[in-house]
Amino acid sequence: MAISDAEGESPAAAKEVGGERKRKRLAERSLLAKWKTEGERKSYSSKLIEALRAAVATDCSRSRAVRVAADRALAVTARGRSRWSRAILSRRTLKLRSRARVARLKPPAAAAGPRAAERRKPPALEQKARVLGRLVPGCRKLPLATLLEEATDYIAALEMQVRAMSAVAEILSAAAGGGRSSSVAAEPM
Amino acid sequence: MSSRRSRISEEEITELISKLQSLLPETRRRGASRASAAKVLKETCNYIKSLHREVDDLSGRLSELMATMDVDSAQAEIVRSLFRS
Repeated sequence: MAISDAEGESPAAAKEVGGERKRKRLAERSLLAKWKTEGERKSYSSKLIEALRAAVATDCSRSRAVRVAADRALAVTARGRSRWSRAILSRRTLKLRSRARVARLKPPAAAAGPRAAERRKPPALEQKARVLGRLVPGCRKLPLATLLEEATDYIAALEMQVRAMSAVAEILSAAAGGGRSSSVAAEPM
Repeated sequence: MSSRRSRISEEEITELISKLQSLLPETRRRGASRASAAKVLKETCNYIKSLHREVDDLSGRLSELMATMDVDSAQAEIVRSLFRS
């Protein structure tokens, strides 16, 4: 995607900024691609096993404990590069889902016309961005650009998590004498 | 000055949106051309929710499996196959 020169900047400065942006983009792409490598999946799998040991020791809601352990292992595999991973690691253990959520007061009704023209984004987009911010850990109050970056990395990580956990489940069920019918949905590829 | 800044970030945002779109399964299957930002955000939310559900299902499955076997042999089995592949 060609970056047009911003007005007023000298050509040299603009080129420098463009080059920096290009480097950043290339770096991001390779970071994303990492989630698809076998190495990452295996690294995650080993952390997952360790985490599972701790998880199955708990008495209450083992499945929830496994989920928490899997998420923490995923965050560790991310090596602190992303906000969502740091947010997961700073959660208290066994975060309960039944958090009483106070209904957010909606801002005074968006006035059409002159008001709307001032806003850069229409409310619908903002609302969806807010929903997305709630889904990605630790991303509730981020500006849109950062949120999109986090979401991109988070999705790649989640896909790896699904692949790794499916593989581990296959291995275990084969070891346990096989024959368990799988009810897991087809994994996204 | 502020208009220049918002022009750059809007470009950045469009780029991020299309990058995000390329990750979504819908796009990968149908190879859709650029969809609206709102649509991409909505698809993203749905996709993340479905991935969460899958992870939850897998967590349930794993916890059942781990209940039926002892942890040490489970771990040994996994490590063995990790080294195999």
